[in-house]
Amino acid sequence: MFKSQKFFRFKKKSIRVIKIMKNDYKAYLGGSIIMLILISAIFAPLIAPADPYKTNVTKRLEGPSLQNLLGTDSLGRDILSRLIYAARPAVLVSFGGIIISVIIGIILGLLAAYVGGILENLILFIFDVIRAFPPIILILVLLSIIGPSLLSVIVILGVTIMPRYGRVVRAETLSEKEEDFVEAARSLGADNSRIIFKHILPNIFASVLVLSGMDMASMIMWEAGLSFLGLGLQPPLSSWGVMLQESYQYIQTAPLMIVWPSLAIMLTMLGFSTFAESLRVALNPKLNQEV
Amino acid sequence: MFIYITKRLLWVIPTILTVLLILFSLSYLLPGDPADIILGPRATPEMAEELESRLGLDKPWYQSYLIYLKNIINGDLGTSIFRDRSVLGVIAEVLPYTVILTLTGMGLAVFNGISIGLLAANYNNSYFEKFLTLFSFVTASTPTYIAGVLLIVIFSVNFNLIPSIGIGDGGILDSLHHLIGPALALSVGWTGYIARLTRSSMLETLDQEFIQTEKSFGIPRYYILYKYALKKAIKPIIAVIGLGIGRLLGGAVFVEVIFNRPGLGRLIVDSVNERDLPLVRGGVLVAALLFVIANLIADISYAYFDPRIKQK
Repeated sequence: MFKSQKFFRFKKKSIRVIKIMKNDYKAYLGGSIIMLILISAIFAPLIAPADPYKTNVTKRLEGPSLQNLLGTDSLGRDILSRLIYAARPAVLVSFGGIIISVIIGIILGLLAAYVGGILENLILFIFDVIRAFPPIILILVLLSIIGPSLLSVIVILGVTIMPRYGRVVRAETLSEKEEDFVEAARSLGADNSRIIFKHILPNIFASVLVLSGMDMASMIMWEAGLSFLGLGLQPPLSSWGVMLQESYQYIQTAPLMIVWPSLAIMLTMLGFSTFAESLRVALNPKLNQEV
Repeated sequence: MFIYITKRLLWVIPTILTVLLILFSLSYLLPGDPADIILGPRATPEMAEELESRLGLDKPWYQSYLIYLKNIINGDLGTSIFRDRSVLGVIAEVLPYTVILTLTGMGLAVFNGISIGLLAANYNNSYFEKFLTLFSFVTASTPTYIAGVLLIVIFSVNFNLIPSIGIGDGGILDSLHHLIGPALALSVGWTGYIARLTRSSMLETLDQEFIQTEKSFGIPRYYILYKYALKKAIKPIIAVIGLGIGRLLGGAVFVEVIFNRPGLGRLIVDSVNERDLPLVRGGVLVAALLFVIANLIADISYAYFDPRIKQK
């Protein structure tokens, strides 16, 4: 009986959120862009008109034509197909990175808020050390230690962003802990794990969700930026950053080539950030603008 | 307030010490033997030994760490491996370019952002406002490097209006001409952010009672908007400037690489690629110091403009 009540409350809240988002053009814009990216990532072989790795040196650096809708790159590969396939690393990096940072952030944040004392200070100290570096420079140095690969990019991005979640989770847990309903649950004999999972986590879920929507945009931004500098994903893999890097050399002779991956990155980031913003307005968590 | 600032300052010291420890441990973490990288394949074991003692690699790590710390306190960041010059000298040469670029970028972002935000607040709930909001979303979600690339494609390749590389020949006008593109590219992301902040802050202020009172007194609308409301609404914007400077410092890495300008960011990227360890350490240290200072200013200005923060 308890369970069904809980379910209805959750359903009621979701319906309210969906109702608010239904009237927000940003939700439609962001949602459709995210759907587009996900569909290209999942069904890339079905959608892509050509093989993204098939080179054809007789057709290099061609402009848009009926055969190659967006033209060909320096090795004669079809740009549109490469763009579509490149949605895969983008999705992997953004979702993978965010999962890592949210999980580590929640664990460390909860530990800091619940245990307190030396452990809390130690965790906050770790956050501060990570935040002492400009993110891009920390990522650069870490990547040069571990070596560039898809997995290392995901892990390093996750760890670099993690303090944001740790700090938000800690701050919100500290304030939720003092709320009356937690006090009431405790007086009824609920132990810490029950309070955390049933009462605190559902309440900080909204902030974490909104924050992670915004950060998925930054993950894609950093992945492409790193690959652009030649330190992230490596060619011949199709990734927007790799495409940027390859076409940057031809910016004077074939300027259109670099525009396509740029637009893809901008569009993806716009999708995630508008959707997250719309979600923020609908959920209305007291999200600290700073973090 | 004073106690808060002192606390924040004291908290910085262990952070910086740990940053130094991490940078120091790079010589053990980075792949490849430093002596091999520096001397090349034809080195004799004696040469390698001599170099290792010069780099302090023959002693236990805590001893070398203390030596490293002592050197840094004395202002000695070591010698660059490939440039054969003191790291401090190399950094001092490029740092002004990065500082000028970052500050100009921030100035542009603040000016453009506030202008767009004011327009959006003034024409609230119109289609023009919706367009401006979407515009600020688009700019806020444009990475610095893409702004740079697109600026080059449009204004440099197509219209030949701005130079796409370098810093010019040293004359003021030429330097400014070379600065426009990079600074604009750097400012794009924060322009959108500040525009959104200005809009929401202005709308919040315009909703308050003292504005209603002024309206009822018959004070002209533009006077209320620009004199009374802006004065109050601008506080959260001033508070984020410190934060923004820190962020733009990171963005400068890309701008400097794309526009081929000398600067701290490009120096770090180059030295990481060359595995020039002393230069990596020195460059990252200076970048981290600047970043910590920017964040410190951000925190203090937050506390000053929004006193609730101090309690946290």
